[in-house]
Amino acid sequence: MSTQKKRNFQIEAFKHRVVVDPKYAEKTWKILEHAIHEIYNHNASGLSFEELYSAPKRNFQIGPLKRQIVMDPNYADKTWKILEEGIHEIYNCNISGLSFEELYRNAYNMVLHKFGEKLYSGLVTTMTHHLEVISKSIEAAQGGLFLEELNRKWADHNKALQMIRDILMYMDRTFIPSTHKTPVHELGLNLWRDNIIHSAKIQTRLQDTLLDLVLRERTGEVINRGLMRNVIKMLMDLGSSVYQDDFEKHFLEVSADFYRAESQQFIECCDCGEYLKKAERRLNEEMERVSHYLDAKSEAKITSVVEKEMVESHMQRLVHMENSGLINMLVDDKYEDLGRMYSLFRRVPNGLFIIRDVMTSHIRSTGKQLVTDPERLKDPVDFVQRLLDEKDKNDKIINLAFNNDKTFQNALNSSFEYFINLNSRSPEFISLFVDDKLRKGLKGVSEEDVEIVLDKVMMLFRYLQEKDVFEKYYKQHLAKRLLSGKTVSDDAERSLIVKLKTECGYQFTSKLEGMFTDMKTSEDTMQGFYASSFAETGDGPTLAVQVLTTGSWPTQPSATCNLPAEILGVCEKFRGYYLGTHTGRRLSWQTNMGTADLKATFGRGQKHELNVSTHQMCALMLFNNADRLSYKEIEQATEIPASDLKRCLQSMACVKGKNILRKEPMSKDIAEDDAFFVNDKFSSKFYKVKIGTVVAQRESEPENQETRQRVEEDRKPQIEAAIVRIMKSRRVLDHNNIVAEVTKQLQSRFLPSPVLIKKRIESLIEREFLERDKVDRKLYRYLA
Amino acid sequence: MHKLGRGHRDKVQQFMAITGASEKVALHALKASDWHLEGAFDVFYSQPQIKAFTDSRHLEELYSRYKDPYVDMIMADGISVLCNDLQVDPQDIVMLVVSWHMKAATMCEFSKQEFISGLQALGIDSLEKFRERIQFMRTELKDEQKFREIYNFAFGWAKEKGQKSLALDTAIGMWQLLFAEKQWALVDHWCQFLQARHNKAISRDTWSQLLEFAKTVDPSLSNYDAEGAWPYLIDEFVEYLNENNIIQKGQPIDWSLKR
Repeated sequence: MSTQKKRNFQIEAFKHRVVVDPKYAEKTWKILEHAIHEIYNHNASGLSFEELYSAPKRNFQIGPLKRQIVMDPNYADKTWKILEEGIHEIYNCNISGLSFEELYRNAYNMVLHKFGEKLYSGLVTTMTHHLEVISKSIEAAQGGLFLEELNRKWADHNKALQMIRDILMYMDRTFIPSTHKTPVHELGLNLWRDNIIHSAKIQTRLQDTLLDLVLRERTGEVINRGLMRNVIKMLMDLGSSVYQDDFEKHFLEVSADFYRAESQQFIECCDCGEYLKKAERRLNEEMERVSHYLDAKSEAKITSVVEKEMVESHMQRLVHMENSGLINMLVDDKYEDLGRMYSLFRRVPNGLFIIRDVMTSHIRSTGKQLVTDPERLKDPVDFVQRLLDEKDKNDKIINLAFNNDKTFQNALNSSFEYFINLNSRSPEFISLFVDDKLRKGLKGVSEEDVEIVLDKVMMLFRYLQEKDVFEKYYKQHLAKRLLSGKTVSDDAERSLIVKLKTECGYQFTSKLEGMFTDMKTSEDTMQGFYASSFAETGDGPTLAVQVLTTGSWPTQPSATCNLPAEILGVCEKFRGYYLGTHTGRRLSWQTNMGTADLKATFGRGQKHELNVSTHQMCALMLFNNADRLSYKEIEQATEIPASDLKRCLQSMACVKGKNILRKEPMSKDIAEDDAFFVNDKFSSKFYKVKIGTVVAQRESEPENQETRQRVEEDRKPQIEAAIVRIMKSRRVLDHNNIVAEVTKQLQSRFLPSPVLIKKRIESLIEREFLERDKVDRKLYRYLA
Repeated sequence: MHKLGRGHRDKVQQFMAITGASEKVALHALKASDWHLEGAFDVFYSQPQIKAFTDSRHLEELYSRYKDPYVDMIMADGISVLCNDLQVDPQDIVMLVVSWHMKAATMCEFSKQEFISGLQALGIDSLEKFRERIQFMRTELKDEQKFREIYNFAFGWAKEKGQKSLALDTAIGMWQLLFAEKQWALVDHWCQFLQARHNKAISRDTWSQLLEFAKTVDPSLSNYDAEGAWPYLIDEFVEYLNENNIIQKGQPIDWSLKR
């Protein structure tokens, strides 16, 4: 009936219009035809459905409508009935009988005829009614079907909502914006939220179900992740606040409880490595969970919960866990566990600090043990090798497990610096290590490997505070190597000097380089000597002289011994030659540093060539004219200092296989009243026999003291020079600043103590380089 | 005197009382400084020649009375005669003040120049005047500034000629003498410490810094600063005190000596 009526006046209207514009139909068809073309060309984006549907009509509807309002007062109710019916059908999934066009037109007309309000409130009521029904059916769903029902109904609701929105498109476009009402789609979501999600019977049940599923997944069950994702997605679609309030908040709380309990349980029964493995797995699981069915924004929140509960609250206990904590990992090189600990602890504040702290104190204590263990001090080479091993080990840990973290490297360096300097003999030992390597250790090793060893030594060298002590010993050891011709590789020697030079500057190595120059010059000198007329010696012994510049070499002021007459002759000849070519120089023989090759025939005719030190040679030559010599007689004839003489006799009489002398009485040590004979029964597999001196490789205690003292003496002028340098540029400076600056300037060589600096300042005041300020006694002035 | 106003007359009397100078000298100095008392002191002390019109004939006589028979100087014997005349013990610290006034280079010696110009500066040309001045010289030791000058003068005065530092025994003697005047509770500990641990000569810096130390650091060492740029000998002294429990924190030793 009603449709019948409506049609009536439309026809009328058409009639009326046709007269007005005869081309109207054609024009309108043109538009529609064009649109159809576009649709077939899949180019529909530029088209407005609403326009195509209605635009052509606008022109002439104004007239008839005015009349219509007057005509049918029941029109709105009737039209709404139709639409309500349609919405019912949509919700019942019974849309096949509906005409979209008709519904749209009705809705359109209602808005047009100012019944928008009625339409809107009708929609709210109808939808609410339907949602109440849906809510009942969801509530009724049992157990596991609950979520599925919810999900299905949600999908239905969405579909229905889509259609309703399409029907009410016109209202959505014109009526809603002008009256500031909620758009249809949003309205649908809000109603769903209020009627379903927030309904008393569903809200908590939904939360519990979701959290229960998460818990089940955590305990290893497989759950329907797709369903989970859809439901969570629903919550997110309803607005981020719904997701956060109805799910995320509780989820985080429950997770915190769960992990608190779980970590407590783990920490009681697992060792550190195992615990970390579990924590890491949990963390990964949570991240995976987020990527599968939670909002991406939740990732940071849930990981921080896991970090806090599983890592942060147990950090101290984990690190210090007995038998498996950080220290055990470090000791046992557990790179994987350490790496895990690093990556987990890095996530929490202070985590790395704790690791670094424990590691530092561990390295310090093991290092301290290493350098102060009296057993270790017996073998300097082993001592240094252990330091290097320790360094390698820790470097590797930092590299493999700690991501090469700079702060860890710094901690390692400072720890090494700390404990290496605990032992005042470290500089000596490092030099001895180099000595050992350069004497024999590097034979048959490739050039690259040599470089690696030297670089490592330099690294230890860098940790030394008393670099000048090292220099002192290095000079001594280098001198011995050069003079005894024991250097394996000239390249390696020079390479190390270059390294020292880059590290400490020209000053540090100039004397070392001077030693090399002397060796080279000496070769030339000897060639010159033998080419000259001085050298016509006939059968006399061959002499090889190394001319050493005083100052460059660590010469000890040693009493020269009495050389045998044969040698003395050649020496004099050389002196004549040398002083003849170099005027104004002075030569003094360093008999304690030389070596000699002797041809010896023993009692039963065994012939050997003996390689001995100059001192030993002096003693042996005496036996050419005597069979038996007492210690006293040897001492008198040679005038070798007692300690040296004892050592050289000991090495000739008391070492098995090298005992070219026989001693009475037989004992290990040399006594003042011993007597010596040539050992007629001497035998050796080799023709050439090298008689080593029993050298105390390490310095003996008094020697050590002496070297120390010399170093201390050398420091005084260095400190004074530094003070004067500073004061010369600053003119006036207070005490504490001078101490600080002097320390800074000298750091590369040694660490001067403030007391030492103070004494030097006082000495400079006394010598009138400085004076105290008259008013402020802490200020010093430079007196030019 | 009668020509002067009352204020001026007071000033003249004050000036004479403090400096011990004659009225003529006082008037001269006050006039030169436009009647400012402080200024007059400056004038008086910086221009010694105006202080007194000493009779150089009398000075020559005094000098020849004490002169050594062999050298043109007053030596130890002469000084003991002088002390006798002045009724002063040669060991009396006031002799140090006398030497300070005379700018004497060395202990137990006055050159003619030192003696004569010293007495001239002091305005002394007779033994009576000399004796009168002794009392005043004692009071000079109480003056903080003058004591410092005398203390620092003592180092150069007491040390051997040509040496840079002061022999320990002499130094200890001087300290005991000086610190008897200017009370320092730790002086005996200091001397004991030096004999036990140091046993070497004392440098000028240590000498002069010790006075600062005595003046600024209280005997309980509560305000001692190890970073305070004290000479290392003083640092070691503090260490020695602490090691031997001579100083107990919060339990300062006898305060009654300190004024």
